Amino acid sequence: MLLVLVPFVFWLIAFLALPFAGMLISSFQHADGQGFTFAQYVKALTHPLYTQSLLNSVWLSFVSSLVGLVIAVFASYSFTRFSAKTRDVLLNISNIFNNFSGVPLAFAFMIILGTNGMFTLLFDKLGMGFLNFDLRSLKGLIVVYTYFQIPLAILLVYPSLYAIREEWKESAALLGASTWQFWRYIGVPVLLPSLVGTFSVLFANAMGALATAYALTVRNVNLLTIQINSLVTGDVFPRQELGSALAVVLFVILLIALFINEKMLQLVRKGS
Amino acid sequence: MSFVEISNVVKTYHQVRVLDRVSLSIEKGEFITLLGPSGCGKSTLLRAIAGLNPIDEGRIMVGGRDITHLPPKKRDVGMVFQSYALFPNMTVFENIAFGLKMEKLDKKEIRRAVSEMISLIELEGKENHYPHELSGGQQQRVALARSLVKEPTVLLLDEPLSALDAQIRRTLRNEIRTIQKRLNMTTIFVTHDQEEALAVSDRIYVMNHGTIEQHGTPQEIYISPRSEFVANFIGNYNVWSREQLLHKPIRGIPDRGELFAVRPEAIHISTEPDRTGAQQGIVAEGFISMATVLGNIMRYEIDVQGLQVTVDTLHRPSVEGLTPGAPVYLFVPESEWKCIERSI
Amino acid sequence: MSNPARTARSKGRWWHIGVTSVVLAVLIIPLLATFLFSISTVWQNTILPDGLTLEWYGRLFSDERFLYAIGRSFLVSAVTVVISLAIMVPAIFVVVLYFPGLEKMLQSVVLLPFALPGVVTAVGLIKIYSSGPIAISGTIWILIGAYFIVIMPYVYQSTRNSLRSIHAAQLMEAAEVLGAGKVKAFVFVILPNIMPGMMVASLLSFSILFSEFVLANMLVGGSYEVVQVYLHRMLATDGHMSSAIVFTFFVIISLLFALVLRIGRGKSRKMNATSATPADNEGGVTA
Repeated sequence: MLLVLVPFVFWLIAFLALPFAGMLISSFQHADGQGFTFAQYVKALTHPLYTQSLLNSVWLSFVSSLVGLVIAVFASYSFTRFSAKTRDVLLNISNIFNNFSGVPLAFAFMIILGTNGMFTLLFDKLGMGFLNFDLRSLKGLIVVYTYFQIPLAILLVYPSLYAIREEWKESAALLGASTWQFWRYIGVPVLLPSLVGTFSVLFANAMGALATAYALTVRNVNLLTIQINSLVTGDVFPRQELGSALAVVLFVILLIALFINEKMLQLVRKGS
Repeated sequence: MSFVEISNVVKTYHQVRVLDRVSLSIEKGEFITLLGPSGCGKSTLLRAIAGLNPIDEGRIMVGGRDITHLPPKKRDVGMVFQSYALFPNMTVFENIAFGLKMEKLDKKEIRRAVSEMISLIELEGKENHYPHELSGGQQQRVALARSLVKEPTVLLLDEPLSALDAQIRRTLRNEIRTIQKRLNMTTIFVTHDQEEALAVSDRIYVMNHGTIEQHGTPQEIYISPRSEFVANFIGNYNVWSREQLLHKPIRGIPDRGELFAVRPEAIHISTEPDRTGAQQGIVAEGFISMATVLGNIMRYEIDVQGLQVTVDTLHRPSVEGLTPGAPVYLFVPESEWKCIERSI
Repeated sequence: MSNPARTARSKGRWWHIGVTSVVLAVLIIPLLATFLFSISTVWQNTILPDGLTLEWYGRLFSDERFLYAIGRSFLVSAVTVVISLAIMVPAIFVVVLYFPGLEKMLQSVVLLPFALPGVVTAVGLIKIYSSGPIAISGTIWILIGAYFIVIMPYVYQSTRNSLRSIHAAQLMEAAEVLGAGKVKAFVFVILPNIMPGMMVASLLSFSILFSEFVLANMLVGGSYEVVQVYLHRMLATDGHMSSAIVFTFFVIISLLFALVLRIGRGKSRKMNATSATPADNEGGVTA
């Protein structure tokens, strides 16, 4: 019966294990593809271009995840207050937008917030020109990234908010707590593990994203994924080894984020 | 040799002996029940007979065939699971026909056999329904029919009624028994409900910790439990050690034995002492600490100088003086004073 | 007679309606703007378009390059999904039912893709498959190979949940006692009942692959141009066509999603009470 597993294992080796090993080995090689060295990692973690890319990515991911999460929490909570049917519709709508990211999204934002964008012009006309910014900058990316984090965040956070039982709020009210106090002492602490877990997932999602930034800015903004992409597909000189090192660094960051999420999920499971 | 002969079956799981040299003998057409608490090994034994769990030692013979090492599909047994395991993607008809389809019978044969079976379980008109459209009791009957239609040598039933309402349980267990008698189907039934076991079985095997504590007819088991475990499990027995009876107002305790069991309904209770001394037995004095109405039974808890005695009587309207606090006299005929073995 | 609890609740109600509307608006606006752009004649420096037209869609659907790109997207996504199901479903079934000891390991492996975004796997894949004995880089095969890994977690999750909810182990036992061998039991009893779950997983995976850009661009780019790559190339040149592509793409995804919902609803009806539940009142043995 184990034979059934053979094709699966074969595929895993061919398209997961081998490439991963290849990447790992490459990251420890010299620029000519030989030997063993830590030089690539040294360069990756000290060269200003790459450290900047790492910082930018972390900053971008952090802000977009945080803002996206906060918006999603408010939105999800409001969703729970509606009837079952409305809730379903709202969640489905939110779910469809999960697929709206990458190149199509980049384009859509260009239409509304680009140099000749709908809202750009509108704000100018209404004298609110200060609201405008360059979409093809880190700031612009934060806005776009936050946008595509929202549906994912809603999807992940909604179940926990749904679990905040009405009875808890009523008991708290009877004991004299205000709405604010309820959230501070009961609501938020109960939600905390799943919020942290969701944040990790969002963070990982943003760190690994490339398509949107690629379509919007290509070389204008210095992101980790963009650097890896140029190093490996080598528009000028392909520098696979350095790209591999950077990719491994990204992989480790993502593993940590997912690990944190796993730990948080365990906490949630224990609590319920 | 009997029709079904199970000899010295051993099964170890995680260093625990779930079946410890278990042996059974069953005649053709008998309805046998494996009775015991959760974890006693009764389901494990049943599944071993079906071939779903392998055994470490021992032999299983059915109808003269040694089936110990055969896969389930070659054993010619039928099994009804606790959760019925009806195939959700098939109609009632298709579910029942499945086994016959596997035997590669031709369509006409299958149609005839299945229709007959559907009449037997009284589900005419439901052939094209799906399991989720049926009630629990109906699903159970389909599960039964699915096994019976193949005319297996032995029918195995793994707590088939556990998930049903008490009322339905009683009706259905009688139905199963009726069908079983009609087909003269050798049947092994597993349950933890002693009332169920007593009601439908020809013989009962009481199991505990992977061994058979006692086996016999319902009457034998109920009237004469041999061990503390069986006494406690099969009914509401009073179980006392000799020590517990010391220095109490009790006379007539036999010399032999260290552990005794008396059925609550075998104890005579009266506000007057029995002055005739006509019967041989054990007498005691005490007062009523609690009287509970259990429907058709009146249950008295008697305090015999600290010792708790449970006495059951049929709930007859005209019993004077048997109220909480009243002093009473108890009498147990000698034949009802059973000596039992201690259970570990 | 004013009810303070009632007014508090209705005030709360307005807040929730407000929040929900704002969030929905934020989500929909980019899409709406894109749609507007795709049906506008000219929309350069003005807040709203000059005029409306359907010519862009007309041009799009008669553009061979676009049609081929859509075709390739469909092909690679569909083929990957089919191969993935054929290979993974039996494997997951075997592990879950007969080798539960391996399940922990299977789970960890299957969830790895979440830590391996497209750009990271592309690095290794390019290194190994660009040259040498198996130079499949640039062909549909490397894309299928990589995409299989991408949808692995979803196929696993869905199959495992389906197997659990139908109590696969019990069904297999029942079938075997009734005379079926393991393969026949799997085909007649397990597969039909996990079909809805597999359909949902297929559609979900299909959407994900259909929307995938990074691997498609880095591994095959122009040699096997899928719709996302095509769109990327159109971005700089023709805004109207691009917007038409984006909107069409979104419509396709929504249709797939609606299908998933349909199937999900049908599934919950059937899965209701196929195993025993207590408190079943039958109301008499015979009519």
